[in-house]
Amino acid sequence: MWAKVLLIALCLLMIGTAIHFDPLRQRSLLASGSHDGPHLRLITWNIGYAELENDSRAHTKDMQAVADAILSNDPDAVALQELTGTEQLNVLLSYLRGRYSGAVAPPGNSDRVEAVLVKGRNARFEQVPADGKYAIAASFHLQPQLPEIVLISAHADAFKAARRRVFTGEVVDWARNRPRRSIVLIGGDFNFELNPRDESHLYTDNIKDDSEAYSYALKYFRDLGRDAGYTAVDDRRIDYLFGLPEMVLLRRAEVLRSAGVGQMDHWPLLIEVAL
Amino acid sequence: MIRQLKLEFLKLIRSRSFLLSFIALTTFVALMLWGFYSYAERKAGEQVTQQFKYTYESKSYFNGLTFALYSVMFSFSLLIPIFVAMTAGAQIAGERQAGTLRMICVRPVSRVSLLLSKFLVVAFYAYLLVTFFIGLNLLVGLCFVGWGDLQLYPGALNLVDEPGKLARDEALLRFAYASLSGTWALLVIAAVAMLFSVLFESPAIATVATLALYLVFHIIGRVEFFEHLRPYFFTTDMDFWRDVFKPEIPWQSFRHYGSICGAYIFGILLLAIAIFDRKDITN
Repeated sequence: MWAKVLLIALCLLMIGTAIHFDPLRQRSLLASGSHDGPHLRLITWNIGYAELENDSRAHTKDMQAVADAILSNDPDAVALQELTGTEQLNVLLSYLRGRYSGAVAPPGNSDRVEAVLVKGRNARFEQVPADGKYAIAASFHLQPQLPEIVLISAHADAFKAARRRVFTGEVVDWARNRPRRSIVLIGGDFNFELNPRDESHLYTDNIKDDSEAYSYALKYFRDLGRDAGYTAVDDRRIDYLFGLPEMVLLRRAEVLRSAGVGQMDHWPLLIEVAL
Repeated sequence: MIRQLKLEFLKLIRSRSFLLSFIALTTFVALMLWGFYSYAERKAGEQVTQQFKYTYESKSYFNGLTFALYSVMFSFSLLIPIFVAMTAGAQIAGERQAGTLRMICVRPVSRVSLLLSKFLVVAFYAYLLVTFFIGLNLLVGLCFVGWGDLQLYPGALNLVDEPGKLARDEALLRFAYASLSGTWALLVIAAVAMLFSVLFESPAIATVATLALYLVFHIIGRVEFFEHLRPYFFTTDMDFWRDVFKPEIPWQSFRHYGSICGAYIFGILLLAIAIFDRKDITN
C-alpha cells in the first residue's frame, strides 16, 4: 500500500512541478538598453507571390497596397524583394507620393530584382554583386551629424542551400567592409531552413549549408528580428534584418501580418532601432 | 527489498541481452568514428577550407567533444531505447514465459516490491548504459580525434539559435548532466515497457509493442501534418534531456519537461502495479 501511495504522491508532485515551471515566458527584445538615441525604422519585405502562382514575382496591381503599408508604418528605409524591375518600382514610388526615392538591383542571372527605398531624396545607391546576381544598397544620413546608414536589400536562392551560403557570405563580406563609422544593416529574404525538427531525416547538407550561412552572418551581425516570429507562410522565419550589435539598440521587432495582399507568401518585418 | 534488488541485479547481469547491448553500442561508436573521421578529413582538409571560407567545419570544429555530441544525439533517439525497451519488457513477461513468475509470487514477497525492484534495476541499467555510452564516446573522441572546445551552431542538431561555444571543462560537465537527464527521459520508455510486460504474456510482444508505440510517436511527431498533436506525445517531452548542451541551460523548460516525464514514469508505473497486483497468474 505504501508503495502505491508513494507513487501517487510522486506522480502528483511531478504534475505540480510541470505546471509551476511553465516554459512559456514573455519573449524579450535583444539588447534593449536603457539609453535612447534617434530612432531608425526599417522594413524588409518580399512582395513576391507564392510558388503556386503563374508568376511568383511581385504583381504591379498590389503596389498601391504595398505603398499604403509603407506609408502607414512610416519607415526610414525599406528593403523589398522579388520585384519585376524598374517599371514596377516607379509605380510603387508614384504611389508613395514622392516621399521615398529608390533603386533596383540589376537582374543578374535571376528574373526578379531587389529594391531599396529611402525616405527623402539624399540617398546614394550601390550594387552589391554576390554569386552571379546582385543585391542593392542604399547609403543615407538620418541626421547630418549622425553616421552614414547603409541598408542592403538581398534575396538568397529559394531552392539551393549551397548557393544561399555563397550569396550570404559575399553580401556579409561586402557589408562588413563598409567604412568603420557606417551603420550597416542587411535586410532580405535569405530562405534559411534552420529547423531540422520539421525534416524527416537526421542530418543533411542543406541544413548544414544554411546553418553555416546564418552563422557566418551572425559572426559579424545580430539577427534583429529573431524574436518577431515567423515571416512567411507555413510558419517559416526566412526574412531577416541583420545589424551591427555595437552600433544599434533594438527597440521594436514586429512582423506586420495584416499587410500581405493577393497571394503574397511573406509579411513585412519591421525593425526599429535606437542609434 | 534490498535482497530483492540484489537478486534482480544478478539476473540482469547474467542475461545475454545485458552484454549484447554494450557490444552493440561499442560497435556503433566504432562505426561513428569511422564516419566522423572520414567526413572530417574530407571537409576540413586544407584544400577544402582554402577553397571555401564560409564554412565552420574546420579542424578546430571536428574534435572529440563534437564527435561525442553527434554520436550521443544520433543514438539516443533510435538505438538506446531499443535496449531499454528490451530489458524492461522482459522483466515480468520474461519470468512468466520461463515459468518462474508463479513461483516467485507464492513466496512471501509482495508483488508491488517485486515490480518496483525490477523497475529500479532497469533504471540502474539505463543509467549504466547511457553513462557507458557517453564515457566511451568521450574516450574514443579524446584518443582518436583530439579535444577542444565544443562549438555549437544553429541548424545542426537543432540545439542553439545562434552560434555558441562550451569550453572543454564545461562541456564535459554537460555530458555528465546528460547522463542523468538522458536516463530520466529513457525511464519513460522503461515504464511503458514494464506496463506492457505486465499486460502481455511474451517478452518479445512487450518489447515490440513498446518500440512500436515509441517509434510511431517519434515519427508522427516529425511529420508536419501532425504538428498540433506534437505536444501530446511523450516523445516530445523526452527531448528535454538535450537542453543540457545549450550554452545557457533553459532551466524553466528543463524542469517543466523533466517533470512531465516524471509524471509519465510514476503514472505508468502505478498503473502497472495496479494491474499486476490483481492479475491472475495462470501459467
